[in-house]
Amino acid sequence: MPTPPERLTEITHRVTQPQLAKYADASGDHNPLHLDAAFAAETPYGKPIAHGMLVLAFVSESMTKSFGRAWMCGGSLKARFRAPVYPGDTVTTAGALKSTSDAMATYTVVVRNQDGTEVLTADAVVPLAE
Amino acid sequence: MDLSKLQPGESLFSDRITVSAADATAYLSATEDDGDIYAREHLVPPLAIAALVMSAAMRRVELPAGAVHTGQELDFAAPVREGEELECSASVLQNSVRRGTRFLALGVVGTRSGEPVVSGKVSLAIPDAEEEAGDADAS
Repeated sequence: MPTPPERLTEITHRVTQPQLAKYADASGDHNPLHLDAAFAAETPYGKPIAHGMLVLAFVSESMTKSFGRAWMCGGSLKARFRAPVYPGDTVTTAGALKSTSDAMATYTVVVRNQDGTEVLTADAVVPLAE
Repeated sequence: MDLSKLQPGESLFSDRITVSAADATAYLSATEDDGDIYAREHLVPPLAIAALVMSAAMRRVELPAGAVHTGQELDFAAPVREGEELECSASVLQNSVRRGTRFLALGVVGTRSGEPVVSGKVSLAIPDAEEEAGDADAS
């Protein structure tokens, strides 16, 4: 069984409003909370926020870059969205090995914005391929 | 759709989807994922499938625009190649109201030839819900 890395490949993205429009088209999620500034202004967020699944995609990107196909062949994750991500935010995804057992490695993953605020936390489990 | 009438175990939709190479490329562009494994092996990013199924489920329940995604669980059983047809479905796992917010959990699954390739649970919070008697929970 291979030794899992102590840390995941770190991923940083700057989220933009045009990106949210592209993501809405690619995913089919056109919730105006992500796209319509006038609508979002009337919500507790005050302005558009990024799709949760877009932020989660950064976690999957980190797992794929760390483990390749193994992530798609038995990987799993459990995530909580802790704080909104706004257009203009720069978010960094990082993860550390939490435990290994039964040929599976569990990582604690945190996505933080430029202020260090946790916007997403997750446990991600990946099989340790031979 | 009247969200208060959704019952745990209720099927929301079942449909076939095919993610083309162009769809996968659009998703990778939108997520700014520069990983080359997808193009090299003609694979669909696993989150792309989950996102498409979830979006379809949310459209089916006609979520109000202020609905917020609060949690997500996903299991990936096998890679999916571009152009492969999947059978996707979604159902209600939980539907309850607390302090004016509706908490809705949906189960989603994508299968290929009867074998799961992706499955998961999406948790949503929907503001401005009226209190109801009791919770409904099948999760």
